Amino acid sequence: MAASAWRRLALLLMLVTASAQAEIPADPLQSPAWRYLAQRYFGEAGVVFDPRVKLLLPVSAENPLSVPVHVDARALAEVREILVFADLNPIPVILRYQPGAQAEPSLGFRFKVQQATPVRAAVRTGDGQWHLGGAWIDAAGGGCTTPSLGTGSGLWKDHFGEISGHLWPRENGVQRLRLRVIHPMDTGLAGGIPAFYLDELQLQNGKGELLAKLQGFEPLAENPLLSFDLRNAGVVRVLARDTQANQLRGSVAP
Amino acid sequence: MMSRTFKQGHWRGTAMATFMLASCLPAFAGVTDQMISNDAASTDDVVTVGMSQGGQRYSPLNKINTSTVADLVPVWTFSFGDEKQRGQETQPLIYNGKVFVTGSYSRIWALDAKTGERLWAYQHRLPDGIMPCCDVVNRGAALYDNLVIFSTLDAHLVALNQDTGKVVWNETLGDYKAGYSNTAAPLIVDGKVITGVSGGEFGIVGRVDARDARTGKLVWTRPTVEGHMGYLNGQENGITGKLNASWPGDMWKFGGAATWLGCTYGADVRLIYCGTGNPAPWNSHLRPGDNLYSSSTLAITPDTGKIAWSYQTTPHDGWDFDGVNEFIPFDMKKDGKTVKAGAKADRNGFFYVLDRGNGKFISASPFVTRQTWTKGVDAKTGRPIEADTRPGDPAQAERGKQVFSAPSFLGGKNWMPMAYNQNTGLFYVPANEWGMDIWNEPIAYKKGAAYLGAGFTIHPLYDDYIGALRAMDPATGKIVWEYKNPAPLWGGVMTTAGDLVFTGTPEGYFKAFDAKTGKELWKFQTGSGVVGQPVTWEQDGEQYVAVASGWGGAVPLWGGEVAKKVKDISQGGMLWVFKLHRAAAP
Repeated sequence: MAASAWRRLALLLMLVTASAQAEIPADPLQSPAWRYLAQRYFGEAGVVFDPRVKLLLPVSAENPLSVPVHVDARALAEVREILVFADLNPIPVILRYQPGAQAEPSLGFRFKVQQATPVRAAVRTGDGQWHLGGAWIDAAGGGCTTPSLGTGSGLWKDHFGEISGHLWPRENGVQRLRLRVIHPMDTGLAGGIPAFYLDELQLQNGKGELLAKLQGFEPLAENPLLSFDLRNAGVVRVLARDTQANQLRGSVAP
Repeated sequence: MMSRTFKQGHWRGTAMATFMLASCLPAFAGVTDQMISNDAASTDDVVTVGMSQGGQRYSPLNKINTSTVADLVPVWTFSFGDEKQRGQETQPLIYNGKVFVTGSYSRIWALDAKTGERLWAYQHRLPDGIMPCCDVVNRGAALYDNLVIFSTLDAHLVALNQDTGKVVWNETLGDYKAGYSNTAAPLIVDGKVITGVSGGEFGIVGRVDARDARTGKLVWTRPTVEGHMGYLNGQENGITGKLNASWPGDMWKFGGAATWLGCTYGADVRLIYCGTGNPAPWNSHLRPGDNLYSSSTLAITPDTGKIAWSYQTTPHDGWDFDGVNEFIPFDMKKDGKTVKAGAKADRNGFFYVLDRGNGKFISASPFVTRQTWTKGVDAKTGRPIEADTRPGDPAQAERGKQVFSAPSFLGGKNWMPMAYNQNTGLFYVPANEWGMDIWNEPIAYKKGAAYLGAGFTIHPLYDDYIGALRAMDPATGKIVWEYKNPAPLWGGVMTTAGDLVFTGTPEGYFKAFDAKTGKELWKFQTGSGVVGQPVTWEQDGEQYVAVASGWGGAVPLWGGEVAKKVKDISQGGMLWVFKLHRAAAP
């Protein structure tokens, strides 16, 4: 191996070592779980708290089964992934979102909250750096251990897998997609009800090209209501799969 | 429908790659068709329910034998947990260091075969409206490639990855709101997963399906009621039977004949044998005719899904004598010749022997003490000669004439599989001695409602016993020995080259008998009624035996007067694993 190559390898090793020792920054939200969650989700990647990541949510959860959240990372370039988690939920990760080239790094959803907790959006950019925004939400609690409402009413089975949606234009050639999928999104933490939730959702354009991917987890609210900002024109196809391999399909026309 | 593109999507691929690296799983080839064909001879695994495609439940293992069985002791146990302690009619499967076992309420676990430690668990999310007629049981899974496949109470067929428990595919077998469900173990034949359906008490239409075991994609489907269309690769494949040949009017549309106990396979003649249930409704006066192909054994070709032959055990059934019982291929030695036969112990009390290649009748011998409904089987035609004991026609009244009938509708034998020992040449049949008062009532079909048109109550025939494990000689039709049990027998039977017969009792005992004499050699109290299916295999040079314990099934729900004998049995949900005791090293 040539000397220059050795130098490059040495430099690379230094970089790896440096990032491995990267300080976990102090948490502006002062969460008791911050240090180990940061290690779990970000490992050796760099993490910064970044005001360009906006996470909008209520101060207090009126309904712990369905807390609306909007994440907006449009001020960042080259967004590869958005990870949303609630530090003190029994299952912290709510979703992972991977917007493609024709999707804005922005989405809305609802989740189940178990107790007062910080909620965070971690945005990974093309350089591997994680940018974090977040806020506390106050909650009376119980959202993750209560049976879904559809379980009592039978709605989940009578209308299981139904997808409804709407597209409308916003500024600069962006259209907003709002989707609703009928699914109980059971966490497995309510007595006698196994975990059962949507874990994969893809958006495609009319030609079947990928627009965005979302990976769902137990805390996503029952009958997920999701909002996406897309730069494509025309029909959006929805392909979803749950943890029991039920395949759900739909499409939304402008 | 499945979408391949989605499963192969980028993020899933990435996640799987990461998982494989992280856990450094050893690479196993997966279960092949050859391993499935060879399951009876291979002793270090059990990859089929029935311990072979033919379902003989015979093992060549003999370390545990009539001399050593007294030393059989538990190795480990596993609790199915939860509050869902209902009938555990499952058979464990053993492969690649894992035990795969299903439980009540559509649950399945993978356990470490050495320690019993849980590797993963899957609970199917069931709707409240499921309609299993006869308890929320499951009778075992099937293995193929890297998949473990089982049926659910809401009539789905679910395939999971053997290593992770993640669902790979999920197919719908029927509309649970119309009464479809499924509890039987799937059968694998040439890369296809063969399943039936349950729901005969709700006027569903019985069916046998073959799917690609790797993808779940439907290859063929064969209805079991005449007049309904079959399909092969999405194309029409001929109706079953001939429309209105043995069913009047529209009655065939809700004709039952549920294939609720699944199928067995005769590899040498390349035929799948599926039993069919009672015709619907129970009130036979509404459907004059033989009602094909209810209460029958159907032989179906695995490649085309066509019926090669059929044999109806109870034509125009009026007593709920399902013909679902397992048809077990075996080679019968008779008069110095070997006959390619198959045997079936039917709900109606006859032990049948047929030619397994063409379905030709060979013999029918009673394996219970009373059969009020028949005077025997005509050897020329193979048809039963009916006695005049059919419940009366209620057409002009609220309720027809009540009759006493034996066996009862729970059968001389119910679902619990018998076993065939290649050494002794005997079948070991778990039988029950009971009758019923039965009468007919008017009924009309309504989706999702019970479609019986009959009332009934069961009575034991004898005070001292109901259950009887009977050794039948198929060549003579004679009972060679019997073991009598106070409560009805409801568990599967297994037999080994160690000259042993294993089965369980509702009283909680798992027992071993001398296969030649019927002498009880060993018993173990499992804590709840045993209605599971025993298995045996070899691991690290030692022979293991396993059985599930957990009382339930149809008896506590439908048993009438039998309740006296079973009402105090504790619920359970446990897998017990045994091997011979070994003294500690000095």
